[in-house]
Amino acid sequence: MEADDLALVARARSGDDEAFRALVVRYQRKVYAVALGIVKDADSAWDVAQEAFVRVHEHLGDFKGESAFSTWVFRIATHLGIDAVRRERVALKDDVDEVREADLGDAGEGILGTGLGSDPQAATLRRELLGKIQGALETLPEKHRTILVLREIEGLSYEELAERLGIHKGTVMSRLFHARKKMQAALREYAEIAPQDGRDDGDESE
Amino acid sequence: MTDCVRYAPMIDARAGELSPEERAGLEAHLAGCAGCRARAAAQRVVAGLLSEALLAQANRRDFGPFVDGVMARIERRRAPRGVLARLRAAVVHHPRITFGAALAPVLAALAILVYVRTTHDEVARVLELNSEGVDMVVQTSDGPLVLMGAEDDPEGT
Repeated sequence: MEADDLALVARARSGDDEAFRALVVRYQRKVYAVALGIVKDADSAWDVAQEAFVRVHEHLGDFKGESAFSTWVFRIATHLGIDAVRRERVALKDDVDEVREADLGDAGEGILGTGLGSDPQAATLRRELLGKIQGALETLPEKHRTILVLREIEGLSYEELAERLGIHKGTVMSRLFHARKKMQAALREYAEIAPQDGRDDGDESE
Repeated sequence: MTDCVRYAPMIDARAGELSPEERAGLEAHLAGCAGCRARAAAQRVVAGLLSEALLAQANRRDFGPFVDGVMARIERRRAPRGVLARLRAAVVHHPRITFGAALAPVLAALAILVYVRTTHDEVARVLELNSEGVDMVVQTSDGPLVLMGAEDDPEGT
């Protein structure tokens, strides 16, 4: 895929619009998904995703192939998404990265105590949750949404996250900790409400 | 609990993301901490949900018009705005025509200059007088013209 991307980039750089269109079609959904995770709103995500490809087109000559083409376009989409959100951002007083003793309460028992905890692959419950993820994600501050999206969809490592976000590796780990904690708290609410499908309520994991 | 503050954030780490010392410390801590084991289990439960959910939303959307929308934005960026921008664009996109159009007045000016100089030289030659002797000879473009002196005036006055 990567070698094929480079071939398309080379053709697009020399003015081949069909090659550029092929690149757009190849990555449009994933770029949109990244943008959606950050900006929350579907129309804004569409806008950000399209603008990301426009910027790619404008700077095709600058792409040296040192990273994968997909990494490059996701990076542009991330920056555009963050810019879009920060224009409307309200700073939260409790928006800190450091992990403190008080943050360690509720050691995951919430999710584990639900039906999802006993059978994460239960189709009905999982479907219900997938439909609620967007709502849960929207409750997170922008920096937590962003780092979760980059970790989960782009699959960035701690090192890559540190470089992309301009923070230390330790901050990456603690920010992810807070982000996951908040996501689990939001999802727990949905998981407890979801039907159990006749599952024995006493059957809980440790 | 102090160890939990240090190791809980590491639970999310994938293979190779922790140093050997960090990995060993985390494993040792998990072996003795039920709370962090529960945190690790909770993370496994929801692992991949976010990615799956966002990609599912993307797949539900009709992306038919997306690439055309991108190309339309690119075209709008290409179209120049303002007189100077359009002029710049004309130079960039039609260099030969632009060069020719710029050269035409220059050539015309050169032609006028050559014509004027040529005509001026002829006039100068006409005015070149040979005052040797009595008769005056005027050089014209049609050849020398002898101007007779007053002594030569046949009518005499």
